Amino acid sequence: MELLAIGLVVSAFLAVVLDDAVYSVASLAVTVTLVAILYSLNDAGFAAVFQLGISVGTLAVLFLSCETLSEKTNERKPLRKALLAMAVAILLSVPCFLVSVGIPSTSISSDVSFSEALWNLRAIDIILQGLVIMTVGLGIVIVLQTKKERSK
Amino acid sequence: MIDYIVLSMTLLAIGIYGLLTRRHILKILISIELIATAASMNFILLASSLNRAMGETFLMLAFSTDTCITGIVLALLIIVARKYGTADIRKLAEIEWQEKVDEEKGNSKEIEGDV
Repeated sequence: MELLAIGLVVSAFLAVVLDDAVYSVASLAVTVTLVAILYSLNDAGFAAVFQLGISVGTLAVLFLSCETLSEKTNERKPLRKALLAMAVAILLSVPCFLVSVGIPSTSISSDVSFSEALWNLRAIDIILQGLVIMTVGLGIVIVLQTKKERSK
Repeated sequence: MIDYIVLSMTLLAIGIYGLLTRRHILKILISIELIATAASMNFILLASSLNRAMGETFLMLAFSTDTCITGIVLALLIIVARKYGTADIRKLAEIEWQEKVDEEKGNSKEIEGDV
């Protein structure tokens, strides 16, 4: 678990610090995978699956846009800078083990299951969310169709 | 024993650092992603430690909203980068400022011509 936390902080820091955008996205992919493993280890299996499933799509799009947006250069990046960044990130992860904020205790019972919470308590939210996603999908189709017609 | 609140705060700090110091628009987007991940991680780990299924339900909603936002922002970034030929946010700001200056100069010349 401790190694997981260190890996999480290191990969997140490298995602921000590394100069090459492709390496940054690869590092973000590691971060997301480690977050999903952390969720599953903490009995949040559904969250882990959602995290992985949604992040795969996001990362694929990010990789593609990396190729479009980043400028190609032949200069070699110094390894020293990456190692220094890793050392800083390991130092940054130390407070996770030393400092403790604590979780507030509660007396409210927690006997609601995931499916109950999803469909009985948040059903309207879920349906509206589905509508929003469908609207986004429809918007993308319309934009692509308009572009196709213009190119003709 | 790991304190997850401190862990998510560290991730949040890294995201904010990236947001303030990076110039490439993709890096800025990655920083925003990290901030969103930190927020949802804090939420879900707190909920799971309290044995609440509601946390996971809300997280699902947060994930889909976050993904929609990322998709739209990424599309806008690609359009801007293709239009101006750069992905550097400071250069983009300079170009916008230069365009405004040119527009103002053009307006003043038109007024002088009328007089």
